[in-house]
Amino acid sequence: MTAASVTTRASAIRRWSWLSRPRMAGSPAVLPAMLSLPVVLWQAVFFAAPLVFLVVVTFWQVRSFRLEPAFVLDNWSRILFSATFQRALLHTFAVASTTTVLAVALAFPAAYTIAFRLTPRMRDLAVAFLIVPIFSSYMLRIYAWQIVLSPEGMANAVLGSIGIGPLPLLGGAFSLQVGLLTLSLPIAVLILVFAMAGIDRTLVEAAENLGCRRGRVILHVVVPSVRPAIALAATTSFLLAFGDYISPLFMTGSKPPTLSILIVDTVKSGSQWPRASVIGVAMLVMLALALGLGQWLARGRTARREDAR
Amino acid sequence: MNARLATRVSRLAQFGFLGLLFLFIATPMLVIVVFSFDANRFPTIPWGGFSLEWHRAILADPMIRDAFVNSVLVGCGTAVLSTLLGFAAAYLDFRYRFRLKLPFVLLVAVPPAVPATILGMAMLAFLSRIGLFGRLETIMACHVAIATSFSMALIRLRLNDLSRDLEPAAWNLGASPTAALVHVVLPFCKPALIASFFLSAAVSFDEFLIAWFVGGVHETLPVRILNLLQGQVNPKINAIGAVVLVVSVALVLIAQRFTGVRAGRRNPNP
Repeated sequence: MTAASVTTRASAIRRWSWLSRPRMAGSPAVLPAMLSLPVVLWQAVFFAAPLVFLVVVTFWQVRSFRLEPAFVLDNWSRILFSATFQRALLHTFAVASTTTVLAVALAFPAAYTIAFRLTPRMRDLAVAFLIVPIFSSYMLRIYAWQIVLSPEGMANAVLGSIGIGPLPLLGGAFSLQVGLLTLSLPIAVLILVFAMAGIDRTLVEAAENLGCRRGRVILHVVVPSVRPAIALAATTSFLLAFGDYISPLFMTGSKPPTLSILIVDTVKSGSQWPRASVIGVAMLVMLALALGLGQWLARGRTARREDAR
Repeated sequence: MNARLATRVSRLAQFGFLGLLFLFIATPMLVIVVFSFDANRFPTIPWGGFSLEWHRAILADPMIRDAFVNSVLVGCGTAVLSTLLGFAAAYLDFRYRFRLKLPFVLLVAVPPAVPATILGMAMLAFLSRIGLFGRLETIMACHVAIATSFSMALIRLRLNDLSRDLEPAAWNLGASPTAALVHVVLPFCKPALIASFFLSAAVSFDEFLIAWFVGGVHETLPVRILNLLQGQVNPKINAIGAVVLVVSVALVLIAQRFTGVRAGRRNPNP
């Protein structure tokens, strides 16, 4: 027996050893296999396979309204070099970045107040209040903003009563950000609240006892402690704003179109599946880059220096 | 004295800001519910007076009734299946060490992070090729793929509090791994299982893009609303909206009731 075959045998044993870990009674490999099989199959068929197929389709061709297997780069070059796609990409990127900055800037002070100024009971209530909108009726809430911000809506009625307006609130960058913040702000606040509630209070007290003013405590104790959470809140906000379809549709009437709008329009306007898939894959690549950047920022300068050593 | 005044002003600013932020979050939900009782055809101020007209109108609309039934079916199916799958995934992650564990966990955890437009399009493209397009079961299957992520997270969080020695103790007393799972782990996870059931139902009840893509002629309630919204102004929207909002808020609140998720350190055994 050669050394190579021994090592492959050994690694094969190691690979399957998880199946036999709780070696108590019965056939020990059966339970984990039975538990993992349905989950893996389900996620493979209904999540992984569609995404893989999405990538494959970008190389296919449409001939006489039928999708045919092929290997052409035409779809990629057509989309990537089209002015519509490039404009939509820049616009979506700018919009999502704005939302990210606004969400973190607004969420930080709010989370600070919730984590440090509220009693535990009130804090739980605030957390409950923030979790509910994350899972309920985003589309309806955008529709409600449409009512509130419309020319004869409530916002203008209130502004009119103090002598301002009527302002064109709906249909521009302002209403788009209102919509995207409706989506991302609760999550951003929640992420920061959980991080800040975990900060060791003695650190804050120590800094105060050493004569630190509030601003310096926040800058030198709170911010470094919740740095990963800030990065997480920022990447989450970016992800949500970048991929959102509803706010651009209802708050600006899809003008100018974002990438999500472009995807749905391309799918709807006949059978241009491959091109819509190109846009989708391009979006996923950009989101992956954004997530990577977030991870890199989360680790902080000192951690990176230690890694480099 | 001056410093105390500054503190008070700063506190006032902090709470004022927090109040405004909560107002921003609450406003759209309140608007939907309040205007659903408005007698006017168009939702504006001043309020047109209390009316149940639109609530009655949605009860009489067969398309809305069908959509509601579809939503309930899809939601219940999703709740049961993603709780089962989520439990399996969470337990595997908790109990076993194996190669490919990271890809396994990512396969379950990542789906909600993929924008629904892209995922919906991908699901439609793939599932229509294998002949699953346009069925209620397909909508449910796709919702399960997303909601299992939340179930796994909730149940895994609960398993964190399970003593690692409890199962080996059961094995030593002669229980098979399966018996220990059923009689020790499952009862321990009960609150998380209930929470996961209701949260998955809420996720499904709220999802519209994927349901819109893969559902074909089968409309769930949010898809019906989306189609109504893209048409003309329709006062029924507020009434359906209020119903959907109440249902999904109730589901999330019930789910929350059964989770131990809290910000900050607590006594683990209150």
